[in-house]
Amino acid sequence: MGNSFAMLMDGFQTAFTPTNLMFGLLGTFLGTLVGVLPGIGPALAIGLLLPVCLTVNPTSALIMFAAIFYGAMYGGSTTSILLNTPGESGSVITALEGNKMAKAGRAGAALATAAIGSFVAGTIATLLLAFGAPWMADVALTIQPAGYLSLIILAFATVGTLLGSSRIRGLVALSVGLVIGLIGADLQSGALRLTFGNMNAIDGIETVTVIVAIFALGEALYLASRHTLVRTEVLEMKGKAWMTREDFRRSWKPWLRGTAIGFPLGVIPAGGSEVPTFLSYGVEKALSKNKDEFGKGAIEGVAGPEAANNANAAGVLVPMLALGLPTSATAAVVLVAFQSFNIQPGPMLFQTNPEIVWGLIASLFIGNALLLVLNLPLIRFWVLLLKIPTHYLYAGITTFALLGAYALNNSTFDLQVALAVGFIGYLFRRFGVPVTPLIIGVILGPLAELQFKRALQISQGDWNILIAGGFPKIIYGILLLVIIGPLVWNFKKKFAVNK
Amino acid sequence: MILKISQQAKGELVFASSLFLLGIFVAWDTSRMDVPQGSSIVSPQTFPYMVAAFTSLVGFGLIMQVLRGRLGTPEGNHPGDSFVGANFKTMAIIAAAIGLHVILLEIAGYVIAATVCFFGVAYGFGSRKYLKDLGISFAFALVVYFAFTIGLNINLPSGFFEGVIGNG
Repeated sequence: MGNSFAMLMDGFQTAFTPTNLMFGLLGTFLGTLVGVLPGIGPALAIGLLLPVCLTVNPTSALIMFAAIFYGAMYGGSTTSILLNTPGESGSVITALEGNKMAKAGRAGAALATAAIGSFVAGTIATLLLAFGAPWMADVALTIQPAGYLSLIILAFATVGTLLGSSRIRGLVALSVGLVIGLIGADLQSGALRLTFGNMNAIDGIETVTVIVAIFALGEALYLASRHTLVRTEVLEMKGKAWMTREDFRRSWKPWLRGTAIGFPLGVIPAGGSEVPTFLSYGVEKALSKNKDEFGKGAIEGVAGPEAANNANAAGVLVPMLALGLPTSATAAVVLVAFQSFNIQPGPMLFQTNPEIVWGLIASLFIGNALLLVLNLPLIRFWVLLLKIPTHYLYAGITTFALLGAYALNNSTFDLQVALAVGFIGYLFRRFGVPVTPLIIGVILGPLAELQFKRALQISQGDWNILIAGGFPKIIYGILLLVIIGPLVWNFKKKFAVNK
Repeated sequence: MILKISQQAKGELVFASSLFLLGIFVAWDTSRMDVPQGSSIVSPQTFPYMVAAFTSLVGFGLIMQVLRGRLGTPEGNHPGDSFVGANFKTMAIIAAAIGLHVILLEIAGYVIAATVCFFGVAYGFGSRKYLKDLGISFAFALVVYFAFTIGLNINLPSGFFEGVIGNG
């Protein structure tokens, strides 16, 4: 504990150098920008910037990415409240009450409770991250390959089955991701898989290309195919983005409850920010004394989910840093960013690269504070961005995505891959298949194979090792609960309805 | 109405079947893999076979779901919204814009490829102010090109700029 505190102070020293502070500031700005703009989220933004940042020093680049991560969440709430089209998935719930508040002329209060709530939740959750992640890393050091494999499989199951409306569709996305992850030479034997004589494919498919293409190109193709582009109306914001004493009184408990719901659900891979924001909304609705206001613009319905969203984002960083297991698309792309600097997140990270990881955590605190200071006064500027015509917005995003895919290796092969993956992204959207499990599959598939092989090498080929020992048994037990629990729940509900 | 729904189901059935086939395809590719001599305890074929089986299994599961009438909800729709067929024409325009970018990039250089792509996507999204769009496309491409080559020192194919500014 004391050690973590001292390391965190060192981290602040790293984060407070002028260069890193500047990158943090740039990140908060870019993050808010991509959060505000529909059609471009934090995962895509970091993916696009990655090729550009390979020449920058790793600490600064990662600080910027972390700031984008947090900034996008602030920006997303602005779009939800004023446009009723969530800029990113965690803000879907915010739109429910936030947009109603804006329509009733209370946009200022909605934006303020979202921003201050995000700050409160982000700060508490980052503190929990600072002390929780090293602890988890210590525990993780004792995990054997078989145990690690069980954790990856648990992440597959939760990300695959909890995201989106249909379990089987989540698993479909995961399986396609696993297939993409197979492409290229096997790391240990050098055997070629799914390359079909193409020399470019031997090194495998770039994860960044997959992420950029599935978000940017898939979205552009899908929106174009729907031809009925409804231009939604941007609501005017009257007065200042600030809240009254009464608003504060009604907001502070939802902020804290949102934090309490969001953080743990980020740490245990529960599949993105939809679940915690939805839960928080439900809790606030159940506890509120003003139940009749829900659906018409209740401030609790903005305060709780926004806090849950930010706390969740910090929670997701815990397994990403301490175990090397990303459970959201954005965490996945941050992991890829670490890897492209030849840094491997995981149990050893806190020992091998303390200055980077503590600088990163410290910069999360700074970024959070900067976001609060920057966002409320600048809100009118962000609103202007919402007036960019859709056709220019997507033309820009598409062209930039292609640039990002090309600049990584200066190879047109990556662009061909991007077009193919973009088409997969289209099909997924068309048939209601979530894309995040695909990304998790691409990243964790090869890691799962590696741990699987290591485990069997230790046991000289005896498959029993995969479930030997207490740790894998516990994880597989949780896995059964995750899979069977909802089935029982659904069955009960159906039974109740039939009766 | 009934016809429309079955048409939607048909499309999804093709999608689900192709996933099932993808699994079989991966298994086939794995079966003809050149396994280097002296491979370790775990063959490089084991994991791909597992992925292949998993893919076919969930593909089969999806086929069953679709046949039972549980169709996917397209993103942005709410369950129960009436089904609207895809506009393949606008989609083809976007795909062509991307495709042209890929082809033109190393032949004509970044600025031209990006101008064509930006203009094509804007056109696909319904913009018909050709001159204004062309101007914005070209300006966008130019700004990005110089920002990357000069500002960030990232090489992009220069095309006709080659003689003018050297290698950027």
